[in-house]
Amino acid sequence: MIKQVKSLKLHKDKIWDLEESNGLLGTASTDRCIKIVNLNKEAYQLIDELDDTVHKKTIRSVAWRPSSTTLAAGSFDSTISIWSKDDSAHDFTSPTTNFEMELMAIIEGHENEVKSVAWSYDGLYLASCSRDKSVWIWETDEMGEEYECVSVLQEHSQDVKHVVWHPSLHLLASSSYDDTVRIWRESDDDWEAAAVLNGHDGTVWCSDFEKAESKVRLCSGSDDRTVRVWRYIGDDEDDEQEWECESVLPQVHSRAIYSVTWGENGLIASTGSDGLLVIYREVDGQWEIIGKKEQCHGTQEVNVVKWMIVDDKSLLATGGDDGHVNIWEDFSP
Amino acid sequence: MSEFINENPNVVEDNELPRRKEDEAYQSLLGNAANGEALRRRKLLLKINHSAQSQALKNVELLDRLLLTSVPPELIPDNNEDTSEDDSFDEPADPIDSQEIYDLIAHISDPEHPLSLGQLSVVNLQDIEVHDSGEKDKMAEVIVRITPTITHCSLATLIGLGIRVRLDRALPERFRITILLKTGSHQSENQVNKQLNDKERVAAACENEQLLGVVSKMLSTCK
Repeated sequence: MIKQVKSLKLHKDKIWDLEESNGLLGTASTDRCIKIVNLNKEAYQLIDELDDTVHKKTIRSVAWRPSSTTLAAGSFDSTISIWSKDDSAHDFTSPTTNFEMELMAIIEGHENEVKSVAWSYDGLYLASCSRDKSVWIWETDEMGEEYECVSVLQEHSQDVKHVVWHPSLHLLASSSYDDTVRIWRESDDDWEAAAVLNGHDGTVWCSDFEKAESKVRLCSGSDDRTVRVWRYIGDDEDDEQEWECESVLPQVHSRAIYSVTWGENGLIASTGSDGLLVIYREVDGQWEIIGKKEQCHGTQEVNVVKWMIVDDKSLLATGGDDGHVNIWEDFSP
Repeated sequence: MSEFINENPNVVEDNELPRRKEDEAYQSLLGNAANGEALRRRKLLLKINHSAQSQALKNVELLDRLLLTSVPPELIPDNNEDTSEDDSFDEPADPIDSQEIYDLIAHISDPEHPLSLGQLSVVNLQDIEVHDSGEKDKMAEVIVRITPTITHCSLATLIGLGIRVRLDRALPERFRITILLKTGSHQSENQVNKQLNDKERVAAACENEQLLGVVSKMLSTCK
């Protein structure tokens, strides 16, 4: 049972990405205008529209810095913008219409389209990836004003589509057009390749870590229409990380999977070109489907799905080519 | 350099390209087959009055403007305002077939010949596969298999991109478009196919002004 709570028409063009933090939702779209929506107390109120002249091309990705009101946006114009709201008043529960985030910085470095940006759990590092086949790690100060590139990781042989950090470690996963996922870790003052996950038979569009302290697992979604779950086993004698593909989730997608998300509730959700939203649950090491919603953005493609917790409630947000953000609840089988 | 599969490609005259019999009615109505087809296509998209007396039918320019401005309204933070409810008239399902797809893409110019993709048999009616119920709230699919004139050239990607852009613009939203090189027609078939069907790469290509200029030129001969 998947129930639609809300459908918000936010953009005139495709929504490529979205992320929630503090009950605030940010969106990335072809129309180059980031929208900020307050979801707290079911307000669903548009509180800010960021300057759409900053980026010259599609905004592909947005990411909130943890415990702050700083947002990073990656664009096809090859730059990353950093936006912030003076967060002296940290109360977002009372809706306001003039949130007014300000442009703090523009980060340049990538040769061409930036496809994804992500903050480490402690907000210390920002990772970005691009069609230029590289992953960059940026270190920033407390204010989020200065960005210094601390590493350029270049082992992917094709576009890097997506980056995601582990929820409590300095461990990064990158997904690529070269059909692999690569794992990167901090090593003294530098960053290094820790592992490469082979198994998908097509572009890997997205991955997400399990929100658990005890073990390190990752799910990934691909053009090959499968979702895979990978498990970190340990380090071998050469200090390389050993990973194994633990399971391939039940296959129900008929086209490319563009997005996967692993929630605090332990559930995985996936969506993609077929417009199907699927929720999976693990029972005794076996994954089963507990919910499916067909055409969750009408007849259009769905580019992103993310778990979020708003007002202590577990919700899913999806963004599609129709310019809508849809919000879903009630995931009981 | 690139090598021709066929040194003397069998060029088909424009008026010999496969077309539908019933189009002749429109041909006589408007005196121009190509225009008739374009109009028919627009009518399909707009779902307007089909009678010859229709004001809209008489005014192609107006139709063009309508097509350009038919973007959705800006912010409707409401669940129930589905656009499908705006359509007060209940139109019977009207599936799009391979001939219509062919008509949309056959007149695209080849980037290196002064001829169309239909004339060069880069696109062929029998290599177009369509799955469409005609119902606008159901997903539909079109698969176009193209035959480049040479077995290795980056122009194959450009031709594929031109076809994709043309179909993206002309077809209703319910369509998923797949462009493939016909098996055995190209040296790096899989590579080209992967690129042509990568949504993100296509979107980025469409924001590249230089590339878009070339594509626009290819599409300028579309009727």
